[in-house]
Amino acid sequence: MKFSKGLAAITLGTSLLLAGCGGDGGADGEVTLELFSNKSESVDTYKGLIAEFEEQNPDINIKLEAPPEAETVLKTRLTKNDLPDIMSIGGNATYGELAREGVFHDFSDDEVLTNVQSSYVDMLGQLVGPEHDGVYGLPYATNANHVIYNKEKVEELGIEIPTNWDEFVTALEAAKEAGEIPIYFTLQEAWTGMSVWNGVAGNLVADDFAERKNNGEASFVEEYDEVADKMLTLLDYGHSDNFGVGYGDGNNAFATGNGVFYIQGNWAIPEIVKANPDIELGTFALPSNDNAEENDLVSGVDVALAVSDSTDHKEEAMKFIEFMISQETAQTYIEEQKAFSGVEGVFQEDPVFEGIRVNFEEGRLTSFPDHYYPAGMGTENLVQDFLIEKNKDAALQTLDSEWDKVQNR
Amino acid sequence: MVKKKHAFLLMVIPAFVLFFTFHTYPALQGIFYSFTDYKGYGNWDFVGFKNYFNVFQDGRALSAYGFTFQFAIVATILVNIISVLIAIGLNSNIKLRKTLRATYFLPYILSVLIVGYIFKFMFTHLLPQIGQALNIEFLSTNILGNPDLAWLGIVLVAVWQSAAFNTLLYLAGLSTIDDQVYEAASIDGAKPWARFWKITFPLIAPFFTINMVVAMKNFLMAFDQIVALTGGGPGQATESISLLIYRGGFQGGEFAYQSANAVIYFIVIVAISIIQLRVLERREVK
Repeated sequence: MKFSKGLAAITLGTSLLLAGCGGDGGADGEVTLELFSNKSESVDTYKGLIAEFEEQNPDINIKLEAPPEAETVLKTRLTKNDLPDIMSIGGNATYGELAREGVFHDFSDDEVLTNVQSSYVDMLGQLVGPEHDGVYGLPYATNANHVIYNKEKVEELGIEIPTNWDEFVTALEAAKEAGEIPIYFTLQEAWTGMSVWNGVAGNLVADDFAERKNNGEASFVEEYDEVADKMLTLLDYGHSDNFGVGYGDGNNAFATGNGVFYIQGNWAIPEIVKANPDIELGTFALPSNDNAEENDLVSGVDVALAVSDSTDHKEEAMKFIEFMISQETAQTYIEEQKAFSGVEGVFQEDPVFEGIRVNFEEGRLTSFPDHYYPAGMGTENLVQDFLIEKNKDAALQTLDSEWDKVQNR
Repeated sequence: MVKKKHAFLLMVIPAFVLFFTFHTYPALQGIFYSFTDYKGYGNWDFVGFKNYFNVFQDGRALSAYGFTFQFAIVATILVNIISVLIAIGLNSNIKLRKTLRATYFLPYILSVLIVGYIFKFMFTHLLPQIGQALNIEFLSTNILGNPDLAWLGIVLVAVWQSAAFNTLLYLAGLSTIDDQVYEAASIDGAKPWARFWKITFPLIAPFFTINMVVAMKNFLMAFDQIVALTGGGPGQATESISLLIYRGGFQGGEFAYQSANAVIYFIVIVAISIIQLRVLERREVK
């Protein structure tokens, strides 16, 4: 342990030394802030936005860091008490863990909070848990888990966009009878099964399932029965090698006219279009509920903005946050990133997303159920196993026992 | 004399320091944390042997042990049979001997991940086409998507790649055998089969031992091949222990728990290696 203390001392010494240099630079009023991002895809967009911000605020410099394995890097830096000033990170279990550690600035009393959509603020709050009631991150960009469809095929088959479960099954049946592949599955990669799972469970299972499950008041056996049945129904409308095709191959296959429907998130759309620029795509929320009004779009926070609570330049950091949250910046970001915005009144205009636009406008959204499952239980492989074995009771019991096991560690 | 000793020490110490700092010290840290509830960051408390007890009750860990041993044993046996055969072929007086030797060593130079992705492509696109054309039921879909067959795909890739190194070791062994021994044997009228079992095999026995131990140890720690081919799937059918430790420890926030698993696995691998050495060395020609 002595050894690591020595190392820590050296690191600390060096960083103090560097901070000292920074202080000298501050004599003429210049401040350098570090912006940490977990997405390599958005580096170019961020660079453009930073240049614009620096032009408006010549005394603030923003340094962008977007390392690979960003979440691990951030956790390591947390152990060294060396958090970046501003963080742009995913709204997932890691965000919740960091927020619970109390290292993020609480936005509760800031004016920027009124400019973001409250449903996403609540989603981030659920990740942190009920014991902490601050707002530790601002939802910036959001994603959608939906059904992507091949417009040409859907029109050819005369299918109307389904709004409830029966209509969806009828549409699948029609596609099957016409000799098409109704749904193109890519279950060789287990995580793609979670797009289906989240889409189905999002509209069938109550939002507070995870919280009640942690308290021992709920179980998969009791509440996921319908989800499991409907998963197996969907699987009947797959192709001949559902577990033999992965995500990349699936995108290519769907782009070249295999399959009418493809259950994936918005992140798959640029990939499909890349494989076939002429394809016409549409999207709709997976209608897993029998009641059309209950069918919301599964959407999560793709990018949350957070500010370190211990930064020396909170005022400047907040200035950058305000710049990011402004309507023009938010619009530029989602147009370049093909994402959706967490900022009130900013909408994705791409025609592909016409079918789900109403969900964003009316706030008919629900969160990704699996974001609240414990990370260690490896849900995706358990779901993949369930789809292969098709043994509903055993699979739901395994999900329950794996959850409890991880909780008890 | 004293000066000479200093020189030798200087040669050894840098490597020792590096090894200790980057290997032994982290390993000791891992053992230390296996007695805590450390998540990889933040605060932690001592929990005694709780993590160790939990590993033994963890169905996922036990099935990972099952898969890893099944895979390692089959792959070790196959690799050694194939390597001996290739080595004997390459050691004989054939045309293009040097070119062939280089060719057979190529797989070892290639990155496991790249080889894995190439084979994955073949399993996904080429094999099913062949299977469909020839009406072979089990080949007509991707075998990596079938929980009962996926492990065979991994065995194939692992054997194809690691046979290269084991062949090299057997070749080294074969070159230590004096040709005169064979001449004497053929004068005595020994047939090729007898020559192999009575002369070649006993004389390369030390190489057989080291190959068995090295291959077994490598396959027990299989990781890259599995990441590239199946990612542990379908389901958890091909989740090896290394993969489970990595997944749970770094992605699942179970650093301490998987450290305990790693300590147990370390003991298991050491025990197996020692047993192998003892048993195999006993039958070597002294």
